[in-house]
Amino acid sequence: MSDSALKKIAIDKINDLAAALMQKGTLIAPVREEKGSNFREIKNPQDIYLDYDNTLLSPKNIFFPQMEDFVNYQLGKDATPAKPVELNLKPAFLFGVRPCDVRSFAIMDTHFYAVGIIDPYWKARRDATTIIGYAFDLSKPADPADFYNTLGIGAADPEGSDIFMVKKDKELLLKGITPQGEALLNGLTMLAAGNAADEKYFTEYVKKGKEPRTRMMCLDDKTIAKKYEQIFENTEYWTRMADGCLSCGICTFVCPTCYCFDICDEDIFRQGARRRIWDACMFTDFTLEASGHNPRTKVYQRLRQKVCHKYSFSVRKYDVISCVGCGRCTRSCPVNIDIYSIVSEAMKA
Amino acid sequence: MTNFKHIEENLKKEAKKLLEAGSVAVVLAYTEGMDEKHPQPFAAQSVADADKIIFNEYCNHNLARYIIRYAPGTKIALAVKAADSRAVVVLIQEEKIKREDLILLGIPADGMKNSKTDEIIDAKTTGGLANPVIYDILLGEEIHTGKPVSPYTVLEQYEKMDKDARFAFWKEQFDKCIRCYACRKACPMCYCDPCFIDQSKPRWAVKSPQSHGNLMYHLTRFQHLAGRCIDCGECTRACPVDIPLYLFHKFVAKECEEMFQQAAGMKIDDKPVMVDFRVEDSDKILE
Ligand code: SF4
Ligand code: SF4
Ligand code: SF4
Ligand code: SF4
Repeated sequence: MSDSALKKIAIDKINDLAAALMQKGTLIAPVREEKGSNFREIKNPQDIYLDYDNTLLSPKNIFFPQMEDFVNYQLGKDATPAKPVELNLKPAFLFGVRPCDVRSFAIMDTHFYAVGIIDPYWKARRDATTIIGYAFDLSKPADPADFYNTLGIGAADPEGSDIFMVKKDKELLLKGITPQGEALLNGLTMLAAGNAADEKYFTEYVKKGKEPRTRMMCLDDKTIAKKYEQIFENTEYWTRMADGCLSCGICTFVCPTCYCFDICDEDIFRQGARRRIWDACMFTDFTLEASGHNPRTKVYQRLRQKVCHKYSFSVRKYDVISCVGCGRCTRSCPVNIDIYSIVSEAMKA
Repeated sequence: MTNFKHIEENLKKEAKKLLEAGSVAVVLAYTEGMDEKHPQPFAAQSVADADKIIFNEYCNHNLARYIIRYAPGTKIALAVKAADSRAVVVLIQEEKIKREDLILLGIPADGMKNSKTDEIIDAKTTGGLANPVIYDILLGEEIHTGKPVSPYTVLEQYEKMDKDARFAFWKEQFDKCIRCYACRKACPMCYCDPCFIDQSKPRWAVKSPQSHGNLMYHLTRFQHLAGRCIDCGECTRACPVDIPLYLFHKFVAKECEEMFQQAAGMKIDDKPVMVDFRVEDSDKILE
């Protein structure tokens, strides 16, 4: 039997698998919360919630926490003793990530290290983490906001995962995709070996996942990037798109591929930290300069930055659209601004 | 039940008339978003635009939010449900806009729904009024059926908590906050530029999402809304992590009403409670 043979486990036995992974390191999986589900560190295997469509917040905070201290210090009169914060990472297992989110990690890698500027915090967390991807449930309709098919992502694409999971009735089928994933699977004794029928099911599921399921338009990277260069000054189009936009930050905070941050010094009771926190181009003060001048005072200018960064600048610089069509921004937007519609309108503008 | 189609037709018709005659530069209304269930606020500026206007039970966003985006003196028509109209009243009282620059297209409506949860929006999360408090043109029949429900009934549980329990409750809620600031941006009464939380000199609170900073942001914002919040519930609906902000706003609104016999944004000639002084005003706070 080859190493990459399929494994399986009954879904109601998932606690055993979770317990084993928790033995080996940190387990992060979707849990159910008041409003939808989110990826959290699992303390109690019972909390894992696999019957979700996609999480409310993206899993980017696993590698890129919303707040992260680099240096801690004590404000003193004559001296300010400071200590860098050590990462001390345990191996981590990110369990149950949907294919579009898995794809987002590769895009974020581009920004955080693949092009040469290495963010040691992102990279250390990435290197310590095994990704266990999970196909969307093809028996259910996709969320109306989703459009990952437009970005060439299938509902059951194993690419980018170390291990990929597919649900078959009351079982989970697990397949090692990378050598690291295979080795992990082989060491998990509570898993049963899959049979030929399981293999067939898995292969067909992945194939079926390629069929269009979400909203879809024909989108060529270069063409849309060029289009946005052409309509950058088309204020008519941009103000129209931004009519309802509140310029809050939800869409960027829930987005798996938004990566802006601010580094600031904050202290309370003389305990200080130099830390990074998420920032976003939709915030009014994002571009505020020390002089007091703000080059982006209008909502449309901020929305334009967001859309063009993803669909134009990113293509020009890194050859990749910085969006995976997970639909989170649309689902979370208080006023229902929909990036898919913005992009499809651009083609007509 | 509100006849939404009928209101939509009237809204389109009036918008067209106003834009055609050039009496306003813009009509603030709604248009279809991703689908019918997800309408978007929309600024119609031409007769052709007016055709794209829609109105249905999911058009809950407070359009008064957008008024201050336009230069002073711009002639604006806007569709106002009860809550929007109260926000307009406060904006007029606070001299952010002039009554004569506005044409208010009143919409009496009940049975509005939250497009994210499909819940009916009623006195639980909003003021619960069905009819706009001011308007120039009414786009449907005023609603006078059903017993009015107090917007404060929902506070019953909250009021039973003592001081410590309330503090613990809010700390737990605010620890969820991701500081996206959608609550402030969705709020028609949060028009400050810059907002205190964006100021860096001085910096009023840390910007990282931690208990003490979150508390500082929210408690300050809550204070800034005292006597001004018109209970539209938009802040709570906007919040991606479901923090029940309305509880605090309603609590303060109730206190205000008890102390000053005045609810925010009900009458254009009222002075905002926070700038008014009357000898007979309650001294409850000082006791
Ligand atoms: S698009 Fe929506 S979520 Fe994003 S800033 Fe505008 S209002 Fe907020
Ligand atoms: S879209 Fe905006 S917040 Fe997102 S990565 Fe680009 S500049 Fe940053
Ligand atoms: S605080 Fe909330 S309920 Fe009150 S006016 Fe602002 S958005 Fe509406
Ligand atoms: S909308 Fe919710 S999460 Fe965002 S800042 Fe307000 S309370 Fe926090």
